[in-house]
Amino acid sequence: MNNHLIKMRILYLLFVVIALYGVQSLSLAQEEKSIDDQTKELSYLLMCPVCQGQSVGESNSNLAHDMRDIIRKQLEAGKSKDEVLAYFISSYGESILASPPPKGLNWLLWLLPGVGIILGGIGITLFLFKAQKEDKKEDSHKVDTQPKIDNKYMKRIEEELEDSDS
Amino acid sequence: MKILGNSGKIVVLIIILSLIILMGYALFGNRDAVKTSPLIGKRAPDFTLRTFDGHELKLSDLEGKTVLLNFWASWCMPCRQEAGALENSWQRYKDKDVVFVGVNVWDDNSNAQRYLVQFGGAYPHALDPNEEIQVDYGVGGVPETFFIDSSGNVRDKFTGPLTEQIIDYFVLKAKQPQENES
Repeated sequence: MNNHLIKMRILYLLFVVIALYGVQSLSLAQEEKSIDDQTKELSYLLMCPVCQGQSVGESNSNLAHDMRDIIRKQLEAGKSKDEVLAYFISSYGESILASPPPKGLNWLLWLLPGVGIILGGIGITLFLFKAQKEDKKEDSHKVDTQPKIDNKYMKRIEEELEDSDS
Repeated sequence: MKILGNSGKIVVLIIILSLIILMGYALFGNRDAVKTSPLIGKRAPDFTLRTFDGHELKLSDLEGKTVLLNFWASWCMPCRQEAGALENSWQRYKDKDVVFVGVNVWDDNSNAQRYLVQFGGAYPHALDPNEEIQVDYGVGGVPETFFIDSSGNVRDKFTGPLTEQIIDYFVLKAKQPQENES
């Protein structure tokens, strides 16, 4: 085996080791970041119980701060997002959730705005369709009557012109 | 231009009213969980605290006794308002298998101790060291009080300043067997 080939193999091996190390570091960094991201994400899914319309993520209250710490601790302890949410629901009830879970009567809250939009859309379409139909009717009526009026006046004008000439 | 007849207008009105009623019911019709606590009827979350006088207090060790668990803070005015009622009630219940526990939250240790000197600290009080117990109990403000029966289950939650009459009502209710509850 010549020296060149050995050097090439060593270089290749080094490249693989460095690449693997880089990938590992990157995945560790992503893991750390993902806990941050998950904490942030979950904090926006929970309402701050002592604030007016603010999520835990938005609020600066002591309680919201405590809740963010608890979210982080539970995620670090290996709990899933659903488990963390279930913990807060068991303490505060479903009203702690920023959006109501789509089940039972809550389905109405998810479906009715859509139903309202669809019905509203149908109503507007019907209105425009009827309005357009009425306009066309009026236009066709105008087309029928206009020439007659014009002819009548034109005839009279011509007669008067002839009278004045003579 | 006439888009809808009278019957059409009535149908549209009924649809709109039905949507409003359904939305209102979905939003405000089932608010039991908001008014009370989801912990009621369930096992009280256990905790261990170091009281201000240096003793260790573990909630599960109090099983067999009725527990009044009061969350308070030194800066909280309604807490000052209820402090007298708590002290007086404690004097009446301390020999009747009832334990009062005060949990100080969102507070400074020295302020809390000063408060206890001023407003009384006859029963055990402790600072929530990691600010987690109040979240375990779903506390949204102070004062909030939980009544735990002798089996270790949460029987009631009261939000706001207590009076001796309110304490009597809930303590006696918690002392009754759960089956008798309507």
